[in-house]
Amino acid sequence: MGYEWDFGIVLRNADLLLLGLANTLKVTGLALAFGLPLGLALALGRLSPRRWLRAPVGLVVEFFRSTPPIVQLFWFFFALPLLTGIEIDPFRASVLTFSIQSSAFFAEVFRGGIVSIERGQWEAAKAIGMARGQALRRVVLPQAVKRMIPAFLERVIELMKTTTLVATVSYADLLYQANNIAQRTYRPLEVFTVAAVLYFVVLFPLSLSVRGLERRLARSGETTAH
Amino acid sequence: MSEQGGEVLRIEGLRKAFGATEVLKGIDLSVAKGEAVVLLGASGSGKSTLLRCVNFLEIPSAGRVVIDGTAVGRERDGAVLYREAELIPIRAHVGMVFQHFNLFPHMTARENVMEGPRTVLRLPRAECRERAGRYLAKVGLADKMDAYPSHLSGGQQQRVAIARALAMEPRLMLFDEATSALDPELVGEVLQTMKDLSDEGMTMLIVTHELGFAYAVADKVLFLHDGRIHEEGPPDELLVRPREARTREFLRGHASFRLPEAEF
Amino acid sequence: MDHVWDFTSVIASRKLLLIGLLHTVELGVLCLVLGLTAGAFVGAARYSRNRWVNWPASAFVEVFRNTPALVQIIWFYFAFPILVPIDIDPFLAATLGLSLNTTAFAAEIYRGGIQSLGRGQWEAARALGMTYGQQLTRIILPQAVKRMVPAFMNRAVELMKMTSLASVIAYGELMHQAKTISTYNFNPIETYTVVALIFFALIYPLALAMQQVERRLRRSE
Repeated sequence: MGYEWDFGIVLRNADLLLLGLANTLKVTGLALAFGLPLGLALALGRLSPRRWLRAPVGLVVEFFRSTPPIVQLFWFFFALPLLTGIEIDPFRASVLTFSIQSSAFFAEVFRGGIVSIERGQWEAAKAIGMARGQALRRVVLPQAVKRMIPAFLERVIELMKTTTLVATVSYADLLYQANNIAQRTYRPLEVFTVAAVLYFVVLFPLSLSVRGLERRLARSGETTAH
Repeated sequence: MSEQGGEVLRIEGLRKAFGATEVLKGIDLSVAKGEAVVLLGASGSGKSTLLRCVNFLEIPSAGRVVIDGTAVGRERDGAVLYREAELIPIRAHVGMVFQHFNLFPHMTARENVMEGPRTVLRLPRAECRERAGRYLAKVGLADKMDAYPSHLSGGQQQRVAIARALAMEPRLMLFDEATSALDPELVGEVLQTMKDLSDEGMTMLIVTHELGFAYAVADKVLFLHDGRIHEEGPPDELLVRPREARTREFLRGHASFRLPEAEF
Repeated sequence: MDHVWDFTSVIASRKLLLIGLLHTVELGVLCLVLGLTAGAFVGAARYSRNRWVNWPASAFVEVFRNTPALVQIIWFYFAFPILVPIDIDPFLAATLGLSLNTTAFAAEIYRGGIQSLGRGQWEAARALGMTYGQQLTRIILPQAVKRMVPAFMNRAVELMKMTSLASVIAYGELMHQAKTISTYNFNPIETYTVVALIFFALIYPLALAMQQVERRLRRSE
């Protein structure tokens, strides 16, 4: 029990950890940038009146929501290059996996927001002659987005936590860097604790803002979509 | 009443079923230009469904809707097919006012009224603004242009909804129980707006429970029962001396109805 | 490009996969039971008016909700043994990480479920002369638990997926077996495809059941 903590080692490797954190944020940001529009497209596909579109899109969404992201990542990193003959580095495999994986969840956030809008709004838009796309863009989405923000931020938090998996395919994110430093210095306790703290420092404010927003929306009588 | 012109709306043999339940069982009716036609009937008699078939919020199961002499939809193998692209311009020329207003809550009164002219008719912005101002003034809300719906009373919201429909300069206006969701003291202002419209010659098809209003405004009253037009006639006949027992029974149930001088 | 799919080596390894599947289910069920049980206490502690009780409970919940589960597992495997004089094998590390993680999320579900009821129900129960315990067990919990069921099922879905993280510290669950099989047979395409399908077959029914329950609850309220 008489363990002597030594955070000096962590401090001396701070630049590596911060570089890892930057890489974590980079993968998260890119996955978000691709995952959001893809998620909206999937949501619209799932809400389509056309069965031939709705059914396969639903299957894709459910598949990516119901399988572990690490399996998806390994499939994209190890299996896909063999199937296509295209080399794929850890970074691209990670961005690809987490874009698709998060889009499946964003699709459900979008869908929840869209269906939470009363039918009367669609009908009023239709009654003045709007096409479905116009009604969606001008009337439904602007109202839905407000309700979706908490659920959306919640997904961003989950996404960033999930990106730690990129360490398992040797992409130098925060966890990967921490692991390297821990092995080199034989100080896993300090290094992994600090890594956890770094994640917490980024994610906790996000969590707090989710709760703040939910409270504010609840007070203004808005429902939030989940 | 107003001078009457040609036929704006004709409905022929209209049927509508939801699954196994047939709500409309063959409706024929005609509305001439400038006419105000009131549909009466107990809840579940199909009057709202009939109204919603006119602008194709519900797609009829059979029969035809003829607007301005043009039958909507294409007939093939005995069925009528409708394409969404064909229905959009119809809806743009038929205004509808809903029971629950259905204003767009993220837009001000003015933006609500501008939305159709801007997005659907693609008119220049300045013209849309001008229209919105004109029609909001017409329904007595010139001073509420920049208010959001949540800051308006129910009666004011419904008048914005009427202005929103009018801004499309429709050939025909549909009113689906426009005052049913309002507190009693707010009903009058909306009925007055509707009456003014009718006096100016707007063609209107109206579902309402306000018999006094029907008496004062309607050119023709139809009583729907069990998916069919059970009785029809001018208001001073149907509302005063109904021929059918069902109609009498329905009118008795609306004890608040007081004859002629009523609210107007 | 023109890969010929060949599942014979995967089928030959079905015993390994089956053992992995058993370990996955075992880890998932154990952590779910531990997490839901402990979560009730942590949730109650967060509800407490005593600062010495609710503050540590809150800190625990926030830490485990706002750090990645993989970091938690790795911390328990590599860092925690330095602090405690016991051996920590992969199974114990994964169990600690995942059940504490589930505890934190479950605590929030309990809290949210009870808060969703509003004061009226408490007051009505108190007006009948019920004690605090009676109010909670007779009136509040029966209603709240019903509302919590979908969230608990969602936790189960997330947890089943998270068990695959234990492969990172070489616990022999399904994903770890997949790594082994694909390394020995050079067949990552078939192996990872099959394992993805097994996970889907395991987890999707849970997700479906959750949607059913949610729909039924929404209709009944």
